[in-house]
Amino acid sequence: MTTNGPRRSGDLVPPTDHRDPFASGPAGPGPRVVVDDVSCRFGQTLAIDHVSLSIGDSEFVSIVGPSGCGKSTLFNAVSGLIRPSSGRVWIDGRDVTGETGHVGYMLQKDLLIPWRTVVGNIVLGAALTRGVIPHDRAEAVALATRYGLGDFLDHYPHALSGGMRQRVALMRTLALHADVLLLDEPFGALDSQTRLDMQLWLLSVCQDLNATILFVTHDVDEAIFLADRVVVMSRRPGGIVADIGIDLPRPRGIDALTAPGFIELKRKVLDLLHAPLVVSG
Amino acid sequence: MTLLGRLKKGGVRVATAIAALALIFGVWNLVIVVFGLKPYVLPTPQSAIAADVDHWSVLGGLTLQTVEETAYGFIIGAVVGFLLGVLMSASKTVQRLIYPALITSQAVPIVAMAAPLVILFGFGLLPKLVIVAWVVFFPVVVNVLDGLAHIDPDIINLSRVLGAKRVRGFLAIRLPATLSPLFSGLKIGATYAVTGAVIGEWTASAQQGLGTYLQTANASLDTQGVFGATILLTAIGVASFLLMVGGEVLATPWRRRSTARRGLGARFRPSVGVGSAAGDVGQRTPPHPAAELVSSSGSPVPVAAGSGARWDPAAVTRDPATNAAEQRFGEEVPS
Repeated sequence: MTTNGPRRSGDLVPPTDHRDPFASGPAGPGPRVVVDDVSCRFGQTLAIDHVSLSIGDSEFVSIVGPSGCGKSTLFNAVSGLIRPSSGRVWIDGRDVTGETGHVGYMLQKDLLIPWRTVVGNIVLGAALTRGVIPHDRAEAVALATRYGLGDFLDHYPHALSGGMRQRVALMRTLALHADVLLLDEPFGALDSQTRLDMQLWLLSVCQDLNATILFVTHDVDEAIFLADRVVVMSRRPGGIVADIGIDLPRPRGIDALTAPGFIELKRKVLDLLHAPLVVSG
Repeated sequence: MTLLGRLKKGGVRVATAIAALALIFGVWNLVIVVFGLKPYVLPTPQSAIAADVDHWSVLGGLTLQTVEETAYGFIIGAVVGFLLGVLMSASKTVQRLIYPALITSQAVPIVAMAAPLVILFGFGLLPKLVIVAWVVFFPVVVNVLDGLAHIDPDIINLSRVLGAKRVRGFLAIRLPATLSPLFSGLKIGATYAVTGAVIGEWTASAQQGLGTYLQTANASLDTQGVFGATILLTAIGVASFLLMVGGEVLATPWRRRSTARRGLGARFRPSVGVGSAAGDVGQRTPPHPAAELVSSSGSPVPVAAGSGARWDPAAVTRDPATNAAEQRFGEEVPS
């Protein structure tokens, strides 16, 4: 357990030296992703307000918060889709504020291209940048085969179930060879049974990958079940209320969902989400 | 679906098509009987077709001439319409600049425009092609423009996240997205095209076509000839439409099929096994966790301490026997 209770975003020790956020970092490999005092304003609306966050190598961080708290805005800023009104984003020690192409980003919808097959969708990243080479297809086939879509390589997306489509979308993200993955409510549209299957599946993928993952969800169970840390965001303007370490042992199975430690963490997160007075503190 | 099931489904389709045609003939004949119309007012469709068969030695050449005008004009109109649609979608300013001109062009009565076109281009093929292209290009522009404007903005965001290059993004996402609306435009254009060709022939008729034949037959009170030519012209229109439907089926397989066609699917399959492909490129590709998956069903891959999974290409190539994905390929792709 690293941190406890409500805290202001300013408590989160952002790097002070803006040219090298790793100089003052702890010993060993520095943080993979540093969100340094980022604010995003759209006209009169302040979507996120001075958010600072530091994510270590191979860490899985879940971000929970009420609807409209700026979770997706934060992801758009980290991915470079939007340029924050103020603050910087660092990935692997490089200032990538407002630059796309440094992270794998899976948006809420699966956004599979209807005229591309499963394999064609997985290699989309290569198709859009340098052109698809046989190695890309081989890797896509290996990914799809390993993660249960081996019989659907030539299928078009409309012929797949919702869970399968999300898996293809995630494989498309994995095939980008990005070390940092942003997953924005990837299982939000699935029924609860499929969702649990997909969570278990994602846990097994994470075990294989060692990727650094930021995961947005509004499902507290999902956030705790998957993550090493759960970051709780406040109502708009979004800021970080708490950063809770999840010390549940890995590998995690369904039984982890009912473990006493899990229930305790869930209560803590729920209290934070539904206690506006504490939030504003 | 079984072969028998497919035959059955195809048989039903052919039967309904024949029934639809029979319905037209039936109503036509019924009208003649009910109103007691004389053959010189309204001949039966059978007699009109019989007249076509009798005069085929003349009509064959004329039909070919009209088909030629229709086809060339249609192709020109489709290409111009498509390019205009793409061009206009690229810039809002260009769109605002060109769109009023396009709408105006369609408001001009085509018959009124035919005469100046003859003055400009003479009596050859050209003015007819211009007229056909003129009526064809508009539905194509409108539909292509619509298709490009209605691409899910999140897909555009996705392609930005993926770092899409302009041309590749266009070819992989925007161009295929225009296909369905493009064919909607082409289907409308295909039926308009014949009308364009007939109007062209009526005003600029150095060469004889079905349109000029229609005019002559009309002038000589040859009602059978008029209806015979009309049936042929209609057949050209219907055939063009069906051709577009066929083109649409071929060009947009994902709308009807759940898997890519076999011949097409082969393109998506690697031509070499997983291991060798990975090994070939391994030297040039930076090591990556996802690539590690290729070998992860085989022996454990050496992992550099503290830096996440790092992929050793050698581990893949040296240990092909246990790689499930590779075995799969060994079976499917003979090399």
